[in-house]
Amino acid sequence: MDFLLLGLEQLARWDVALSMVAGAVIGVIVGAIPGAGAAVTIAILLPTTFAMDPLVGITLLLGVYCGSAYGCAIPAVLINTPGSPVAVLTAVEAYPMTMRGEGRRAMSIAYSSSFVGGIVAVAAMIFLTRPLAEFASRFGSAEFAMVALFALVLVVVGHVGQRVEAAAALSFGLFLATVGVDRAFNTQRFTFDHTFLMSGMPLVPVVIGLFAMSQAIVQMTDRSGPSPQHKLTGRFFDGFFEIFRYPVTLFGSSAFGVMCGILPGVGEFLAQQVSYTVAKRFARTRDQFGKGSPEGIIVSEATNNAVPPAAFIPMLALGIPGEELTAMMLAVFLVHNVIPGPQLFIDRPEFVAGLYTTLLLMNVVIIVFLMVATRWIALVATVEKRFVGAMILTLALVGTYATNYRLSDPLLALCFGFLGYVLRRHKWPVTPVLLGLVMGPIVEGRFRQALGTANGDFSVFVARPISAAMVIAIVVLIGLAIRGEWKRRKPLEEWQINAD
Amino acid sequence: MSNVATPTNRVESFALNGVFAAISFALLAALPFATRSGPDKSGWWTQPWTMPLIALTVLCIGNAVTLFLAGRDLMANRPTGDEVAAARAAIFGWFRPIEFFAYFLGYIWLLGRAGYFLSTALFIQFLLFRVGLRQRKWIVAGLAAALALTAIFRWGLGIWVPTADLYGLFPDAMRKFASKWF
Repeated sequence: MDFLLLGLEQLARWDVALSMVAGAVIGVIVGAIPGAGAAVTIAILLPTTFAMDPLVGITLLLGVYCGSAYGCAIPAVLINTPGSPVAVLTAVEAYPMTMRGEGRRAMSIAYSSSFVGGIVAVAAMIFLTRPLAEFASRFGSAEFAMVALFALVLVVVGHVGQRVEAAAALSFGLFLATVGVDRAFNTQRFTFDHTFLMSGMPLVPVVIGLFAMSQAIVQMTDRSGPSPQHKLTGRFFDGFFEIFRYPVTLFGSSAFGVMCGILPGVGEFLAQQVSYTVAKRFARTRDQFGKGSPEGIIVSEATNNAVPPAAFIPMLALGIPGEELTAMMLAVFLVHNVIPGPQLFIDRPEFVAGLYTTLLLMNVVIIVFLMVATRWIALVATVEKRFVGAMILTLALVGTYATNYRLSDPLLALCFGFLGYVLRRHKWPVTPVLLGLVMGPIVEGRFRQALGTANGDFSVFVARPISAAMVIAIVVLIGLAIRGEWKRRKPLEEWQINAD
Repeated sequence: MSNVATPTNRVESFALNGVFAAISFALLAALPFATRSGPDKSGWWTQPWTMPLIALTVLCIGNAVTLFLAGRDLMANRPTGDEVAAARAAIFGWFRPIEFFAYFLGYIWLLGRAGYFLSTALFIQFLLFRVGLRQRKWIVAGLAAALALTAIFRWGLGIWVPTADLYGLFPDAMRKFASKWF
């Protein structure tokens, strides 16, 4: 109780409250614009938050993060185009309802399921993060090294069908993390005597290049034009309480979303797909799935919205981000000298309490905003993609150049923008590059520390139970992934034999 | 979303995998020149080259595997002339971003000469023109967007930008005003 009161005290600050509302509003709006989305917006806003108080800056970005998860349902319902790929199944279920004249009902089901998913995940975060952090306080370097490695392996394994590509992208990110002066020996690594690389690969230009600039080019070269929008009909509050007719689906999907959020590398998209596939088999109205089923919207939205807060559990307790947005958040934490991990709960309890309370109230702010402003937000869902692309590229200037006023930063961002564009064209995963870049120093530092204390004896990783369990889990995961890839590639081999 | 819907051309994929593999092997080959060893008494696991070596080795293996798979696919099912022509066009398409990135560099150059508002307005108008949005409503929307961005970043967040050369031509009071707000 004291902890929550401490959080409310933080929230009583006008700057925190203002950034929560601003973040939520921006998040919902960008979520509703197909092609904009949270990753692009956070990448652009990231440098502007560096000058803010940690809780204010992080609250603003959290608002964008959570708000966009709600907002992306709007174009899915109205124009059959998800605001971000994670709302694709919402579109599958909600759009047929819109066509039947039940657009408002579909919208309110999406909002209320998102709300329940978000609240369940924040509750899980409040109850699980601290025990996990206390458990992690017993970790030594070997355990941390293995947990970090386990997270990296999960990131690769989570990219089903693209594991080789994900491994390559992740290792590229890990390589980028090594560029700069090595702190242990004060020697340069891959700087080629360029002074701007001495302090390492700057995160902001990389993030803006990979996520914002590449997306801007994709949008500007897209000639498909805006999709026609259907008018919202029906009663808005019809679906708000309808979700409680399916309690198992609602809370089961939320719990599954929480589980997937905790596991690094799974992310909203995969969580939603798996949750939907399972629900399609066992749900009460499974025969309605794909034809405009309210239960289908519940599965999609509750799972989606449970993932982001849950992704904070390993990030806060262990300092390990699970996907691109928590990786960006980790960067903000580090810039503000807030070091996630067990010590954070001892050193900065007011910060953690503020974060919990903000996330909890954020969902309320967003749902109220949506109830009031949906009809106006709906207008942005059909904004011309080329215009959105031009805006993203324009905004990228603030993030790349106007932060340090070094020409090297925008040039670097342009290089990563080009790389991101080529990767996107070929459907290669971009996120592992960022995760590798953020996780690289953690992994390297912990491994050096663990091996240093054991005088290079690798048995240090299997000498203690937690670390040994992690080693076994890593071996099993890699084994299962190789088996899965082998099976996936087999049809090609058989086809080849037939062709020969 | 559009890129997700576009099927990947196999020849283009092979070429891209080849480029990635070449870059990754070149980086691995540069490792001895781009890193230095620490004191001899420290173990290999602490050496500055260990982590780049591991990362680049995995990168090379990953790229070699994808290149091999793409090559095997092409060998098993030879590309048609149309596919090769489409790949050629697509490979030229890789350089499409360079055009936009050149405009972006122009925008940075202009920033120090014309100030944030004017350079942003010109950049947006130019981009909209290039992507084919040339009607009056887009011109107005672009100007409104430039004004909104100026309001957010210059008036609201107070982002500093270099004083524009253009403002030096204004009378003193106007120069101060323009430098502060635009």
